Amino acid sequence: MSQTVDTGAPAEAVPVKKKKLVLSEGKRAERKLGWMLCAPAAFVMVAVTGWPIIYSVWLSLQRYDLRFPDDREFVGLSNYAAVLSDKYWWTAFGITSLITVVSVIIELVLGMLLALIMHRTLVGRGLVRTVSLIPYGIVTVVAAFSWFYAWNTDTGYLTKLVGAEAPLTQQIPSLLIIILAEVWKTTPFMALLLMAGLALVPDDLLKAASMDGATAWQRFTKVMLPVMKPAILVALLFRTLDAFRVFDNIFVLTKGANDTSSVSMQTYNNLIKGLNLGIGSTMSVLIFIAVAIIAFIFIKLFGASAPGGDSGRR
Amino acid sequence: MVSTRTGGRGLSRWRTAIAGAVVLTAVPTIAACGSESGTTINVYQAPEQNFQTVVDNCNKQANGRYKIVYNKLPRDADGQREQMVRRLAAGDTGLDILGLDVTWVPEFAEAKWLAEFTGENKADAEQGVLKGPLKTAMWNGKLYGATKNTNVQLLWYDDRVTPKPPETWSEMMDMSRQLKSENKPYRILFTGAQYEGLVVQYNTIAASEGGHILSDDGKKVVMDKGAVDALKVLKDVSTSGLTDPSMPNAQEQQVQQAFEAPDSKAAFELNWPYVFAAIQAANPDRAKHFKWARYPGIDGPSKATIGGFNLAVSALSEHKPEAFDAVQCLRSADSQKFQALCDGVPPTIESIYTDDSPIEPCPGATTTDKPSMATAYPMRDTILEALKDPAVRPLTVVYQNLSTITSKVLSPPSDIDPEATAQELRDGLQKALDSKGVLP
Amino acid sequence: MAIIGGSTTSRKLRWTIVDIVVVVYALIPVLWTLSLSFKTAEAQTDKKFFPSEWTWQNYKDIFTTNEFIRALINSIGIAVISTLIAVVLGTMAAYAIARLDFPGKKALVGVSLLIAMFPQVSLVSPLFEMERNLGLFDTWAGLIFPYITFALPLAIYTLSAFFREIPWELEKAAKMDGATPAQAFRRVIAPLAAPGVFTTAILVFIFCWNDFLFAISLTSTTASRTVPAALSFFTGASQFEAPTGSISAAAVVITIPIIIFVLFFQRRIVAGLTSGAVKG
Repeated sequence: MSQTVDTGAPAEAVPVKKKKLVLSEGKRAERKLGWMLCAPAAFVMVAVTGWPIIYSVWLSLQRYDLRFPDDREFVGLSNYAAVLSDKYWWTAFGITSLITVVSVIIELVLGMLLALIMHRTLVGRGLVRTVSLIPYGIVTVVAAFSWFYAWNTDTGYLTKLVGAEAPLTQQIPSLLIIILAEVWKTTPFMALLLMAGLALVPDDLLKAASMDGATAWQRFTKVMLPVMKPAILVALLFRTLDAFRVFDNIFVLTKGANDTSSVSMQTYNNLIKGLNLGIGSTMSVLIFIAVAIIAFIFIKLFGASAPGGDSGRR
Repeated sequence: MVSTRTGGRGLSRWRTAIAGAVVLTAVPTIAACGSESGTTINVYQAPEQNFQTVVDNCNKQANGRYKIVYNKLPRDADGQREQMVRRLAAGDTGLDILGLDVTWVPEFAEAKWLAEFTGENKADAEQGVLKGPLKTAMWNGKLYGATKNTNVQLLWYDDRVTPKPPETWSEMMDMSRQLKSENKPYRILFTGAQYEGLVVQYNTIAASEGGHILSDDGKKVVMDKGAVDALKVLKDVSTSGLTDPSMPNAQEQQVQQAFEAPDSKAAFELNWPYVFAAIQAANPDRAKHFKWARYPGIDGPSKATIGGFNLAVSALSEHKPEAFDAVQCLRSADSQKFQALCDGVPPTIESIYTDDSPIEPCPGATTTDKPSMATAYPMRDTILEALKDPAVRPLTVVYQNLSTITSKVLSPPSDIDPEATAQELRDGLQKALDSKGVLP
Repeated sequence: MAIIGGSTTSRKLRWTIVDIVVVVYALIPVLWTLSLSFKTAEAQTDKKFFPSEWTWQNYKDIFTTNEFIRALINSIGIAVISTLIAVVLGTMAAYAIARLDFPGKKALVGVSLLIAMFPQVSLVSPLFEMERNLGLFDTWAGLIFPYITFALPLAIYTLSAFFREIPWELEKAAKMDGATPAQAFRRVIAPLAAPGVFTTAILVFIFCWNDFLFAISLTSTTASRTVPAALSFFTGASQFEAPTGSISAAAVVITIPIIIFVLFFQRRIVAGLTSGAVKG
């Protein structure tokens, strides 16, 4: 994490070293090389995201239902009116927000604990770090099937243990299981991000605080948290946006039945099950806008400490 | 959406348990002939235990002109539909014959994914077929599928509890109330969970009321008085205290098991014919008194919702003539009879119901008893009677939406507010027809 | 630090207990899947955590079906190709970002950041329609393109973090010896960057290996369906049997590479994630 300090150093360092010669031979070559090296990556990223998102705006303005191929027509914003006035959409939106908020909060707390453990444990640090990486690395669908079979009425050891009856056919138990699966999978990732922040906390400061008679809790809140703030915010931003896209777990666990659809699940259902490209694209655009708003709020709230706030930092 | 196809399950299990030596075929064996170099016809059909035997027999009959390959679709109806739809939408030419649930033909036909049956193919597919099932294979007056099997729910009862079965819903509820006061088994069991099974109940009651959900061409929402009154019936029975407490979560299997249970409190069960075979093994004692009648009506006889499968030819198939030919064999009278007896799915060709000649024991059977319609379908007259006066689920391109919305607004049935629920259905269905419906 | 106080021995003991909790937490779902994959068909529904009778049958079953083998080949092929391309493109871009000054650099960083936050489901509808028209639907390329796109931000951030740790002087020295920036990149920086590139490749591979949304939406047959998507299409031996055993066995098989990576490259993965992603 030492690099965090040399904020944007390379970017500004180069011109200084070149003694600010305006477009010298070397400088021009450097520019050209820079563009050449970045062009392929930039091209692919823009081509595969930029163009489709524009295309989906176009599709969202049409009645385009593969079941009525002859009725394709331009309908303006009426798909937006249809989706935004639909209670299923808002249910899915609410469910998605709920899953996002609850799971991110739990992940933050558990992730912080796990980060402290990984950072401070006296025994088996390597072991703890290694096993923590398993939930991060494992295929989400694989983990989801494991939870599915654990909570299923036919096969589930957890269903039996808890004495629940068909938890995956009821809304609240289903949501709890989805959150459990999300939390299990992503807490280690959260913990790793937080651990990087933890490494920035100077030991001297902690020792000094300790000598001043600060309790462990005070040291945590007064010394560690402020230093870790940027790492925490970045972790929160990424996990929030990631959680908002929740799909794999829901697909395997409930397929969105009993009001457990997320917005991603609902988009998939309307597109692949409903064959309604107009409505599906409308949802795509709305989710894109929602995510943009979330990212914007984070960046506004936290200013330069959020990653988008100061990209030059890199 | 399991409801339309569960018919086979219990019957074939039971059959396997008591049947005998392994003889592979009921259809006359024609000299086998390899067709390594020939045309391959890919059939996509739900998993059925003995459909492979049917395919094998048809391959023998094809005599090397083509080879049919049975590709098993997932077990759940949504999964089956999704897999075919996704490939057809992508213009995949690898699908030749599609096994379609009776509710899917309009959607597939309107999307231009199905080849029309014409001329000889049409004549053959209509030959001797019951009108109700045949209707499910039509769209816009054209034939797009050949019926493979059908299904219909009956009223099942215990003749020790009720020697004479009720004929209408109000009669059934009165009897149930009476039985409850006498401390006898009294419950009315039906599929009340939020899924296609609930739609089937509602559709049957609405049709029996003479009501319509959609117009006959499937293009306009009607929701007339009969359809609203049906909501009242569903609400009344659900709030009467005469149903099983688990009714709002019950699917076919739970309904079946609740009646089979040794200490069952049930007097009436509304379910598919497979339950007859299932109870023989599960509760032999009650099985002796397990009787059937037509699904109860409103004023007169009911119109019960039919299920089943149609076989269609993909419009994108590169081997349409062979595919039509194969369809003809796969759903021929012999094939249907074989599957009726070995997979427990009722046939769509009327003459099979009165055909009492036995066939060879089913594959994997453990006795040498030769099954016949008389032994496997003691209730065949009632089934046939119901099939001749059936209710077809609304034939519409947006059945997927109709089914989802209907099961959702009807669930739980005790919360139905007839007028408001009807309005909700009207709005939801109209939106779906305008391509503005959002699937949850 | 004194999060947990007391004497050294008892602290060690307490840490051991905490460690065990973490290990159990991380491993339970994996062990459960492993257990299901070794259970016999009859025992699948016994609701016991461990199999009472062990069998290889589920593994034999999946490796005799074309479905799983094809899916495995697709998974490996698509993930490897996507990883290679993403790492090559990412290395080029990251080098430029870390070492060179040129207009548009901030824009590129911003774009990758946006893509890292991009809701992937927003691409599903347009890509479904575009790939249908272009004939890319249900092909390897149809998955490789989106995978590269979403892997690139990860690759660029992780790599540029690694690149920044490479000593500046070496490149300068090379340039003084008359090497062009391109030569400096090839001869000096690339070998130094190899460990970082390798780590990035692992992270990118895990990302591609993991994807489900694109795999399920943009494929329709065994021609390109990857294992995560294929799992939900398993049908089971007969219509009466849920495919629990086969799904679990297949799940275990695709978890093996992850376990290997984690066991052998734990340090690198942690370093890669914390350097790139934190600041990403």
